[in-house]
Amino acid sequence: MSSSSALVLCMDVGFSMSNSEPGQEPPFEQAKKVIQKFVQRQVFAENKDEVGLVLFGTDGTKNRLAKDGQYENITVHRHLMMPDFELLEEIESELQPGGQQADWLDALVVCMDLLQQETMGKKFERLNIVLLTDLNVQTSADQLDVIINSLKKAGITLQFFLPFPLDGEDRADGGGDGPGPSAASARPGKGLSSQQTQGLEMVKNIMTSLEEEDGLEEVHTFRDALEKLSIFKRIDRRPMAWPCQLTIGSSLTIRIVGYKAVTEEKVKKSWTIVDAQSHQRDDVKRETVYCLNDDDETEVQKDDTIQGFRYGSDIVPFSKVDEDQMKYKSDGKCFSVLGFTKQELIRRHQFMGSQVVKVFAARDDEHAAVALSALIRALDSLKMAAIVRYAYDRRSNPQVGAAFPCIKEKYECLLYVQLPFMEDLRQFTFPMLENNKKFTPSESQLSAADALIDSMMLVEKDEDGESVDVFKVNHIPNPQFQRLFQCLHHRGVNPDDPLPPVEPWLKRALERPQAVSARCQAPLQDVKTKFPLKVVVKKKEQKTSADVFGSSADEPDAKRVKVDEEMEFNLAEIAAGNITSVGSVNPVRDFCALVRQKTVSFDQACQQLTHRIEQLLGNRSPEYYMKSIACIQAFRDQSVSSGNAELFNSYMQSLKRSVPDRNLQEFWDLLIQDALTLISKDEVDGSTISKQDANQFLAFEQKEEVQAAPVQEDTGDVDDLLDMM
Amino acid sequence: MAEWRQYYQNEDDEVEEDEEDSGGDYKISGRDSLVFLVDASKEMFIKSEDGETSNFDMTMQCVRSVYTSKIISSDKDLVALVFYGTEQSKNPRNSFKHVYVYHDLDSPGSQRVLDIDKLLGEKGAQFAEKTIGSGETSLGEALWCCSNLYSDIKLRLSHKRLMIFTCRDDPHGGDGAKDRQARTKAADLKETGVVIDLMHLTKPGGFDVSLFFCDIVSPPEDESELGLQIEPCRKLEDLQKRVRAKELKKRSQSRLTFSLGEGVNLAVGVYVLARTATKPSAVKLHRDTNEPVRTKTRYFHAHNGGILLPNDMKRAQVYGKKQIVMEKDEVDEIKKFDDPGLVLMGFKPMDRLKLHHHIRPALFIYPEEEQISGSSCVFTALLLKCSEKNVFALCRYIPRRNTPPRFVALVPQREELDQSQTQATPPGFNVIFLPFADDIRTLDAHVGPTASDEQVDKMKEIVHKLRFKYKSDSFENPVLQQHYRNLEALALNMLEPEPIEDLTMPKVQMMDARLGPLAQEFKDLVYPPDYNPEGKPAAKRKTAESGGGAAEKKPKAEISEEELKNHVANSTLGKLTVPVLKDACKQFGIRTTGTKKQELIDALTMQLSK
Repeated sequence: MSSSSALVLCMDVGFSMSNSEPGQEPPFEQAKKVIQKFVQRQVFAENKDEVGLVLFGTDGTKNRLAKDGQYENITVHRHLMMPDFELLEEIESELQPGGQQADWLDALVVCMDLLQQETMGKKFERLNIVLLTDLNVQTSADQLDVIINSLKKAGITLQFFLPFPLDGEDRADGGGDGPGPSAASARPGKGLSSQQTQGLEMVKNIMTSLEEEDGLEEVHTFRDALEKLSIFKRIDRRPMAWPCQLTIGSSLTIRIVGYKAVTEEKVKKSWTIVDAQSHQRDDVKRETVYCLNDDDETEVQKDDTIQGFRYGSDIVPFSKVDEDQMKYKSDGKCFSVLGFTKQELIRRHQFMGSQVVKVFAARDDEHAAVALSALIRALDSLKMAAIVRYAYDRRSNPQVGAAFPCIKEKYECLLYVQLPFMEDLRQFTFPMLENNKKFTPSESQLSAADALIDSMMLVEKDEDGESVDVFKVNHIPNPQFQRLFQCLHHRGVNPDDPLPPVEPWLKRALERPQAVSARCQAPLQDVKTKFPLKVVVKKKEQKTSADVFGSSADEPDAKRVKVDEEMEFNLAEIAAGNITSVGSVNPVRDFCALVRQKTVSFDQACQQLTHRIEQLLGNRSPEYYMKSIACIQAFRDQSVSSGNAELFNSYMQSLKRSVPDRNLQEFWDLLIQDALTLISKDEVDGSTISKQDANQFLAFEQKEEVQAAPVQEDTGDVDDLLDMM
Repeated sequence: MAEWRQYYQNEDDEVEEDEEDSGGDYKISGRDSLVFLVDASKEMFIKSEDGETSNFDMTMQCVRSVYTSKIISSDKDLVALVFYGTEQSKNPRNSFKHVYVYHDLDSPGSQRVLDIDKLLGEKGAQFAEKTIGSGETSLGEALWCCSNLYSDIKLRLSHKRLMIFTCRDDPHGGDGAKDRQARTKAADLKETGVVIDLMHLTKPGGFDVSLFFCDIVSPPEDESELGLQIEPCRKLEDLQKRVRAKELKKRSQSRLTFSLGEGVNLAVGVYVLARTATKPSAVKLHRDTNEPVRTKTRYFHAHNGGILLPNDMKRAQVYGKKQIVMEKDEVDEIKKFDDPGLVLMGFKPMDRLKLHHHIRPALFIYPEEEQISGSSCVFTALLLKCSEKNVFALCRYIPRRNTPPRFVALVPQREELDQSQTQATPPGFNVIFLPFADDIRTLDAHVGPTASDEQVDKMKEIVHKLRFKYKSDSFENPVLQQHYRNLEALALNMLEPEPIEDLTMPKVQMMDARLGPLAQEFKDLVYPPDYNPEGKPAAKRKTAESGGGAAEKKPKAEISEEELKNHVANSTLGKLTVPVLKDACKQFGIRTTGTKKQELIDALTMQLSK
């Protein structure tokens, strides 16, 4: 299976390429950028294309054909191979303007030779030579016919990139971010040397004789090319055929083939974890251990675990073997019609799954084609769709879906989309909006909305009265990939630089089209004045302390200004007299007082405090978190000063264990901020915790990586085979 | 991908994306709770006129179905079953007479389902008579008891609902003191955030809500909502539907700003109305004790064995033979384009929304008056106008922090009610995800001959015979159903799981019967007699690009006897391909024992040199 191509970039580095009018970028620099962008795209597209680089006009000579003063000043810089970062770096650092001139036709011959020599024994779908030159050199046209013939014979295609356009008009005008002040000034006939004019004629001659009239479309300007090349290649996957049979009842069968036509494409690569210093992947080892949910976190061997499933509050042990034996068995791939229904009964917003499959008749089976065509046309004219059971293969779960008829000018097919199961649906009821006194818009409000919609239509009529979509989402490359490749490339070339900003063209592609923006100004202002919109200042959750603690009698006002601790204690002692227990209003004060007064044992005081902390954490809201943090801080301080680390440490360890279950991650983050970690040996002699352990205690092991890739057993689909390859 | 939620997370959190960032700006904590408060008076046990089910029986069936569905879909929710008007009393402190707490507030499990089963049917009625009995009624006491159930719960409850099932509209028979007490207790409950619903059942002479219960139940969510259903439930199906509509708290996945531009912002809640339900993931248990075990994952250095903290690691990818390294933060930053929210790009006519532009299940948005007041009004105006002009709104959508944008179509959906005045479709916009260029694959379409009118008409007859009314909730997922039946069987010690009915299988016999001779007639029209669509595809025959003309039969790749004889004579049979040789064997009725080429050649030589 070879869909790859071999191509040779052939760049003129001769001295004329460095000539430019003042303030303009010389053609050499532009051509270099084109090559860079091109190679960049190839690197990130990761296909099997091979690229070679031939320079002409170089001071030296390095090619197979050079002999007897022929083919001089032509250098094969890189032989055909897959492009990599090395090539990019070479282009960046080694590609310099040369001091000579060389015949571009000679260079073309060298390229042809390179292609023929180095593709021998390999299969390529396409052989291509890309010539970047200003044509400013004397060429000998006597060999032209021979060259054209051998190009044709070898099936080699040509592309030209020139600093100026082929025909008088500057086609690439209007693109905002071309490479600055461009070569637009160099118009043919004006400022062109006689060699260039002659060269142009030859280019036209070659291209038209190679491809007839379409040939000239493969002649580009540098500027044009740069703009197009700044978009990374879209992720392209070869569609994978899924042969099956469409069945209606027991006796009617049509041979079909399905292809995934639309599906959310994901980046092909994921990030690996490497050591921060060495950047070596092998330096990082991951270990997963199983442990019981007890205080000691007793580790359990993997072999000593079995799997179970929750059934409500119960966990039912259910071994993998049993599960496999008892699970639903599907009897292999199928595309069986369950019945036919009106298309309008299938709601667009109830489409499920992540793909649309196009279903054709089996290739080269005209009987199947006729049978399927009959079905497609019947459904189309009745405005109906088939409801089918779809199973990709024996391993995958069956689906129920709809097959819609689709008749295009060139072909017919069925479009298959998955539909929901009863279990997938949620029946929520929402308060009505229309006829609701509070929300009913007035006539003037409605007309404001009306005007806004009219001003913001993304479909416009062109001169011929045809409506044109000015914002086609399906023509926009996925910004996520573009940005990712941009950053990867940048980091690859400049390992120490910060990440670059989002490319302007990409930013623009995600914004409202300028014309629409301008049009809707006034209607938007109108909407703004006619509809009062006000951000509601969030009220604190209405919670009485009774809800929190069960009794509210002794807690008049929970909001207190934080006063200096010592002072507070004094005041508190005066005010509260003898404190006998840790209350809920100011647990920190009470606790410290208890510890100081020694009315109860330290253990007891701690116990009371932790009880309050638990109560506070039960509320899971920031205010209570802050209070809890203060409690923990006090707990720690008092523990350190009384030289008793054990209570605190064991409480913290149990708290940490409960974080995932109680969803206290946010709270834990606060602890991290305040660095409220275990009491180490360095602080209290009796502690069993080393300084390092204490420091690491707060960090949660990276859980995400494990969860990020849940084992999926039932996603088998049209592409699976491909993915597995 | 989508998984039913474990632990406390909001079941509606979107999990399709990388799970690393659950930190939207809006999170729901705590669990939902639901108390069934069921009248156990004599009246509840009276069978309906047609002698079928009593109100009590119907209620129990309904409760059972809620239990089992909770087990599957939201096993962390708490449910309680309390009877009032009983003879026996059973409650935590036994301080309430004639109130029987059958199930305390807890997550439902298999035992509870078994417990309910005991109350079902004729036997169930007898069992109920014996264990709980019917006695004096004091709804006030019952409500008080329920409020204690709530307050005994140490967990944080996010949504509290209490449903009263009764067929008596005047439970205290005119006892004003008891009525008053019930009202006070109901008010107390409502004060603490409990929503009280009435599921009233049929009563001879009609159920009069205004007599008493109108003061007990919570007012509707907003004044416009259809508060009390006037009609009491007669059928189980209705009751289940009503209970189901109330039982699930609708919850937004996130609340976002919807920006129209120029600082005109409204707030919307994003809801998931359909998501693929999958088997919950397995829990690891300790083999000896069946105790759940936790997994801990840690990273350590391969050489010195030291634990690696997040800061000690970076992320890397290899492109063009080069390793490119980034910090974890940078990897996140790359995905950030803008703050979360919906940004309006413009509008397009509905016909620009292509059927096949589908990449994910849709979402639903509804205004959030509590965040930005006035949102509902703008939202309604847009909804009405979009619907009237038959356009959809195109928006850029960023669901949460550090997530790249997607474009979505907001398709207006106006409210629709069904015959029983229950909402069939809610008012709001459906959010349809649109594909980017990368998501659309290039296919080379198969071009083939098309069908004639006669053939199409025959197919129309077939389609006509097999038409049915599609309803989105009519298919159960057989894989899930089987899984839960298996668990149920194991949990309840059943010998074998209850068989499931696989609704996704075509009802072949019925279809054949309906089609009658049509299938054959159609086949006669489109297939030649020797064509077998079920067989393996014949050796790939290269056709000249069929130009779309009618199906013409291709000449068979046959070989004449003469030619064959020549080949035999010159012993050049080996030049022919295996399929040709096979065809030749068939042509002469030669039975071959093997299918190897040499065997075919030998057989042919034997036959033809005779």
